Amino acid sequence: MTGYEFARHALEMRREMESVFLVLTIGDLIGAPVLPPIYTLRLLPYLAPEVARWKRQMARRKEFWEKEEYDLHGV
Amino acid sequence: MNSLVAVILGIVTVYLAYTRYARRIDRNVIQSDPKRATPATLYMDGVDFMPTNRNILFGYHFKSIAAAGPIVGAIVAATLWGWLPALVWLIVGVSFMGWASDYSAIVLSVRNEGNSLSAVAHRLISPRTRTVLFLFIFFYLLLIAGAFVGIMASVLESQPRTHLGMILLVMMGLLLGQMLYRWRIGLLAATVLTVGVTLAAILTGSLTEGAFKGFNEILNGITDGAPIVTYFDPTLAGFKGAEAQIMPSLLFWAAAICVFCYAGSVLPIWRMAQPVVYVGFWITALAMILGLTGAALGTLVKPEVAQFQIPAFKGWNPQLGPSGIMPLWPMLFVTIACGAISGWHALFGAVGTARQIENEADMLPVGAGSMFAEFLLGLLALLAISVGAKGSPVAAFANGLGGFISVWGIPLEHASSLAFAAFIVIVLVVTQLIFRVMRVTLTEWLGEVIPPLRNQHVASIISVALAILLVMTGTWIYLWQLFGAANQLMAALSLLLVTIWLASVGKEWLYAGLPMIFMYVTTVASILVTAYNLYFNVYLPNIVARRMLPAVGSGLMVLVSVLLVVAALLIGLDGWRAFVKYLGRPAPAAGPAPARG
Repeated sequence: MTGYEFARHALEMRREMESVFLVLTIGDLIGAPVLPPIYTLRLLPYLAPEVARWKRQMARRKEFWEKEEYDLHGV
Repeated sequence: MNSLVAVILGIVTVYLAYTRYARRIDRNVIQSDPKRATPATLYMDGVDFMPTNRNILFGYHFKSIAAAGPIVGAIVAATLWGWLPALVWLIVGVSFMGWASDYSAIVLSVRNEGNSLSAVAHRLISPRTRTVLFLFIFFYLLLIAGAFVGIMASVLESQPRTHLGMILLVMMGLLLGQMLYRWRIGLLAATVLTVGVTLAAILTGSLTEGAFKGFNEILNGITDGAPIVTYFDPTLAGFKGAEAQIMPSLLFWAAAICVFCYAGSVLPIWRMAQPVVYVGFWITALAMILGLTGAALGTLVKPEVAQFQIPAFKGWNPQLGPSGIMPLWPMLFVTIACGAISGWHALFGAVGTARQIENEADMLPVGAGSMFAEFLLGLLALLAISVGAKGSPVAAFANGLGGFISVWGIPLEHASSLAFAAFIVIVLVVTQLIFRVMRVTLTEWLGEVIPPLRNQHVASIISVALAILLVMTGTWIYLWQLFGAANQLMAALSLLLVTIWLASVGKEWLYAGLPMIFMYVTTVASILVTAYNLYFNVYLPNIVARRMLPAVGSGLMVLVSVLLVVAALLIGLDGWRAFVKYLGRPAPAAGPAPARG
């Protein structure tokens, strides 16, 4: 229990980096094409399990206090 | 009256309110369903939506909501009206209102796809409610910042033995962040080292007391002992009011706290804010557990530390300064801002906690349970001030808590040092986070209109400067009550949302509606009373004496009071319209609830 917030914050930092990676590789799924489609298609089988979760995360409206480094949960 | 009787009263309150009332509402009104999927299980992204074990979630939620509110509030209330009204409000407030507010806010979020209160308000009431809430939040944060910085600066200035502990706390916090996130050292070893060193520094603070006292004297020597600001304090001279002074040493410690908070606001959260809070949590938990158990056992083992020293009741309207009024209603109900009921719990706890609720059956123990635990914290603070009535209110609290801790065989001098440190820690760790949120709120609210505010340093410096201005007015007690009023008003608004939601889904809404009406009327009245006190007790005397800094600060606070009332009336009006609209509609047909996979 004592280490819960550190584990959670580490997960959040990892998720943010993954989110940036996903925007770069499959960004055209949310209207932000970055990589040429040939590379996106090659990576798609590996990224497919994350697509639904990532799209929901990107589309969800966030309050200002939930943004990266601003939130207070755990502290 | 003694502490054992009060502790027994507290435990009986928690048992009866939880089992007889809260559980009945959960079962018959909310009808929580363990088989129903929660947002955490539906969306499960491993970060925002993450089903979490209820025991861990309880600890996490409690740590998020427990702060200086129940402690400082109980101190001030007991000083003004006596221990009996404070005890009655703590018991009645938490039993009928506090748990309902915290629990219902979590329910509202869980049943609305994990949306925040402001997002639900946008949909259920009106879009402008969300905008008004932003405004409300910023001024609420400003009041907390001023109140907490003010009280910490005065404690640090008057208690040089706490300085070593606080300096080591900050250093150990920075070290812990580095050890965990960069050097990847295990949590247990890092905790033992950093908490151990901080505790040692707190307990041996008397060794450096002389040096820090000399440092304060050097600072005051810069102006040859002359004050920087002289102001009229209505709480001095037995509440008749007298001149008070802000010396260079007080300003230095206020500035030191603000520098710490500025750093906490702009550095990554893992670098400073989070590890400092973690180390501070261990210190505070130790002091509170030893204190609460000592309070219960003290009557039997060491009776001299457990007998109440202050009067039970000091009057319905104690005089505060030559023109001030302090009627029991409505001021008691906003002076104890947390411990009985608090809006801040609903606002933040609902978003973070609600998205981690694994099972609807966890909503009650986590939400209501945490509020009852905070009630016990407020009760402990009340016991400490009631038995240790020597010196300033904070000193009396520390002496009282130190007395309870000493029941365990720890020498009274060290026990009091630990109690002082626990108090400062609990206020300090919240204050740095408040400046972070204040900075973000300012950017969000005005960043489009005033582009420089989008810079994190500009927004942080402005937030810090405004807080220092409030400290320099010397109107701490009114600042505290204004903060309490804003906090309780947020609770009223949260209950208003819950009431409207319950009406919209055809459920019984009285258990939330009645507390909402009481808190709404009480808090608006208290803001008006505080504005009156500020204007006649502080603003006018300072204007007459041509003390511009305190006059400007108190004038600003009068303006903030008016804005809070206007914001509350706007939200209340929109809320009433929405409530009437939903009350007239037939209850929607209940669709199939999403089942847990």
